Amino acid sequence: MSSVQAAIKEFIKKELAVGLSRDIDPDEDLFTSGILDSLAILQLVMFIEEQFGVEVPDGDVVFENFHSVTAIQQYVNGREAQVR
Amino acid sequence: MNKQESRTGRVIIIGGGPAGSALGCYLSKMNIPNLILESNHHPRPHVGESMVMSTIRVFEDIGFLQTMEECGFVHKYGASWFEVKGRESSIRFADFPEEGISQPYTYHVERGEFDHKLLMHARSLGSEVYQGVRAKQVVFEGNQAVGVEVDLGGESVTLSADLIVDASGRNTLLGRQLKMRKNDPIFNQYAVHTWFEDVDRGQSETADYIHIYFLPVERGWAWLIPISDRVSSIGVVAERDQLRQFHGDADGFFNEYVKSNRALEQAMAGARQLHPFKTEGDYSYVMDRFVGDGWLLVGDASRFVDPIFSSGVNIALYGAKFAADAIQDAFDKHDFSSDVLSPFEERTRQGVAIWYEFIRLYYKLLPLFTHFIRSEKYRAGIHRLLQGEVYDRAEAPVLDAMRKYIATVESNESHLLRGQLASIPIDDLPLPE
Repeated sequence: MSSVQAAIKEFIKKELAVGLSRDIDPDEDLFTSGILDSLAILQLVMFIEEQFGVEVPDGDVVFENFHSVTAIQQYVNGREAQVR
Repeated sequence: MNKQESRTGRVIIIGGGPAGSALGCYLSKMNIPNLILESNHHPRPHVGESMVMSTIRVFEDIGFLQTMEECGFVHKYGASWFEVKGRESSIRFADFPEEGISQPYTYHVERGEFDHKLLMHARSLGSEVYQGVRAKQVVFEGNQAVGVEVDLGGESVTLSADLIVDASGRNTLLGRQLKMRKNDPIFNQYAVHTWFEDVDRGQSETADYIHIYFLPVERGWAWLIPISDRVSSIGVVAERDQLRQFHGDADGFFNEYVKSNRALEQAMAGARQLHPFKTEGDYSYVMDRFVGDGWLLVGDASRFVDPIFSSGVNIALYGAKFAADAIQDAFDKHDFSSDVLSPFEERTRQGVAIWYEFIRLYYKLLPLFTHFIRSEKYRAGIHRLLQGEVYDRAEAPVLDAMRKYIATVESNESHLLRGQLASIPIDDLPLPE
């Protein structure tokens, strides 16, 4: 598991899905499973910006980029590659 | 009699609430004779109990800050918002100190006492104050306001003045008389409120903050304002249409909405109601004009906007401050026409328009507001607005950022916040480059 993936999972479990006792499958849909909701998403965006030093443009806050831990990881990797 | 000879050299202020009393203070300090007519006998109850930081400047101007401390009003160090599920986001005024404000807090007040003390302060500075005197109407000669007709022991008497100020609050005396009142096309809210004991104000750090609760209906919110160690003011605001579901039953309306926010429900679990509920309708309005020949409107008598950001007393006090400048100018020029008074109208309109724009963008996409107050990039800008520091739109780029973000969400079908967009219209607000 990459460090990006681990950090995202930890943040979600600690801050957004408080009380979730099971592990999060990296490919499970975070919205249909109720782990994330649209109110929590902006907190996750802020975390990503601060933790990984990438900017998340307002228009990037879409389902494709955030529906699973894997998707978020890919998105972050993509943004990091652009920064370099 | 020519115009010059008919001059009385004085101003009559209708209403001894914060707008009228503060104006009396400013005018007396400028040596402009003024008379305040208050229909009630203070102290009397009034809603609108929480203030923003910039009111401190006005209290300093008129030498009232010491009285605020002596009265022992609750110190307000910040504000907290609670989402429906209970998550709290807060701001602390000390994090963004404003130049010229020497203390890190403002106040929550019991309005009966506050309004009374401010009126007495105006008297001590030189205002002539009459309580229990009801202004019936403003008397005109042509378009020129020349006096106020009052009821004195059952007889109508006209008191004359060079300038009449309507500070009659939501009573909007002159607005009704001249048929200038327009109800807001967007907001038609209804409020139910009263005082409670034994309200749980939550964690100690934010316990004395104003608590604002989101409700799961558009333009709905609730307040918790600490009035003393013991007493809290609680109010529920929602669109008037919602009241129909409760067949006009204010208690049912109140209790149902209290249950709809987890944090509010928790705060009220052991609360004991102290007085019967009070209600406020016809919520938001604006007058066509704020000035005319020989008259002007200040505070709620000119405009009322949803008080979700505790803007009411602030608008009243700054309205008084700006009105005093315009009145001094009028006395200097011996000209009380609307031309001379109109800079006052522009200044106040601009100030209230900023609150109004902020309120609309806030409701349009609620999660954005909590995001902005948590975000390092926008926090400072939101703070300045919330502290009531902005009377010039050019100093509020954060509103442009909110507007742009909303446009992004509106134009992007798969944006994750799309489901959170409210129906409130904002298309007239220009989209920044």
